[in-house]
Amino acid sequence: MTETIASAGTADSKRWLGRLGAGALAFGAMSAMGGKRARAQAITDADVLNFALNLEYLEAEYYLRAVTGAGLSTSLTGGSTGNVLAPATTLVPFQTSAIAYWAQRIANDELAHVNFLRVGLKAEGGTPVAEPQIDLVNSFTTLAVAAGLITTGQTFNPFASELDFLIGAYIFEDVGVSAYAGAAALLTNPDNIAYSASVLAVEAEHAGLIRSYLAEIGGGAVTNAISALRQSLSGVQDNGTDLSAGGGNPFSFANCDYNGQAFRRTPEEVLNIVYGASGTGVSAGLFFPAGVNGAVTST
Amino acid sequence: MLDNPFTKVLQEGIARRRFLRGTGCGAAGLAAAFAGSAIAAPRTKAKARPAGLTDADIFNFALNFEYLGAEYYLGALGTSLPGNLTGGGGPVTTPGTGPVPFQNTAIAYFAQQLAVDEYAHVTVIQEALTAEGATPISEPAIDLDASWTSLAVAAGLIADGETFNPYASETDFLLGAYVLEDVCVTALCGAAALISSKINLAYAASILGVEGYQVGMIRQRLSAIGAGAATDAISALRSALSNAIVDSGVDDYGTDANGNPYNFTNVDFNGQAFRRTPQQVLNIAYGGPGPNATSGGFFPNGVNGTITTT
Repeated sequence: MTETIASAGTADSKRWLGRLGAGALAFGAMSAMGGKRARAQAITDADVLNFALNLEYLEAEYYLRAVTGAGLSTSLTGGSTGNVLAPATTLVPFQTSAIAYWAQRIANDELAHVNFLRVGLKAEGGTPVAEPQIDLVNSFTTLAVAAGLITTGQTFNPFASELDFLIGAYIFEDVGVSAYAGAAALLTNPDNIAYSASVLAVEAEHAGLIRSYLAEIGGGAVTNAISALRQSLSGVQDNGTDLSAGGGNPFSFANCDYNGQAFRRTPEEVLNIVYGASGTGVSAGLFFPAGVNGAVTST
Repeated sequence: MLDNPFTKVLQEGIARRRFLRGTGCGAAGLAAAFAGSAIAAPRTKAKARPAGLTDADIFNFALNFEYLGAEYYLGALGTSLPGNLTGGGGPVTTPGTGPVPFQNTAIAYFAQQLAVDEYAHVTVIQEALTAEGATPISEPAIDLDASWTSLAVAAGLIADGETFNPYASETDFLLGAYVLEDVCVTALCGAAALISSKINLAYAASILGVEGYQVGMIRQRLSAIGAGAATDAISALRSALSNAIVDSGVDDYGTDANGNPYNFTNVDFNGQAFRRTPQQVLNIAYGGPGPNATSGGFFPNGVNGTITTT
């Protein structure tokens, strides 16, 4: 099973790399609406896209390692090498065919997004940021302790099992959705807005899959704990999958308010989560031990 | 009004939604013709925004589809939109077989959330239109009975003379949801770049996010239970109907496609969800009448608003 998945994932990645290359832009993260923190000057589309590229690097490194055992090739990292701290073994021992293939689907999508953003930034005359330092080891344990999933001294390795892998994916995908939803109104180029919308949709499809599956298998408490942490760090509402305590849906697969609106986050609010720190003036931490690259780097 | 073990959650969800306040609290939109640029994939191409199309036109176009989605999901629970939300429109034709006999608790609750969210989208878009001084369209006549059978025959899911009732079982219900949701995602993706107001764009993005969550859940379930062939057939039909209007490379992949037997995202090779024009969307919703049609399928008298023709 594991060998099959590994080889399938590798082959598919190669196939994708061969077929990519007609990319364009998309996405970013900003909320035009009522940000709590004033922005000194206007942010450009390239700034937004480069901010997004940091997040796509993070996601691609996570999913590619889970399904192939290896991360992004240096041709897609802007020359960065050895930047990712990961466990010695990252190939997830998938037991369920569906989960293995879902993981492969996500990995392919995130790989495509990295390439798409890099190609698009160059096409618009910008320079894609290089991949920043990424921590896929200490970050997850720190976050799991903070969420109360494990106790101090224990370790959370999201590559250890397919369930752990899904929990790791849960941490990322809703953040991506809120970042893209917040970004839409900050982009000025209609092309970028259109592409951003299409990437937002895909991130939400990822999140919908992960949430509905975790909800079904009894992951309500775990997802609630992670969502509560994200909400605490960012100050933006975040719902887990079991809302029954408040009279709500115990199988909540969409992370949205009662107006049926997915939550939106500013880049700073996104950084609060991926840096693992609330408040302003934080410029590194958790998944990005040296901070993200680009124009938007501080909470 | 509800005879369903999960109605409490539905009623709570509807009761909890808060009206948007202040000016410019916009919402979604389906819109025309934004299909790429010079740096896009080869088969996509840019298309100018139709002259004179306002945010209100786009929102009202979207509202037709929120009415459709809300009625479909509420109907699965044995109810419908209240009269104060339909503007005196309708009617809605259903199979008359009552709520879906849900067997799986998770799917029953998923259906609850679908209904709550689509209900909320109807109200949000109506409020946005009113806040901007525009008039929300009333609900068009909606066919949730014969339309399904015609579509299922066209997709090859059933033979002539057979009937497809999406309320007959929870799997049929999910297939019906599959038909609608991917269309909504492509419509909203196509609309984003056409919305003028940044506030409206932000709300549209958040609605798109929720439609994406819905698609992810539905495709997860259907791929997990081996419905690949059915989803592939529906996707092939949608693709053919879209490209019969404007062949802008709007593909559509089922859950056994793209070299992945559990293909749960509907994307191109750039990891992009597909975008459709309103005309492409209408040709699917009208059941494939072809160019210059004004009604059919789910909308036997056509949609309401300024965008009504394929």
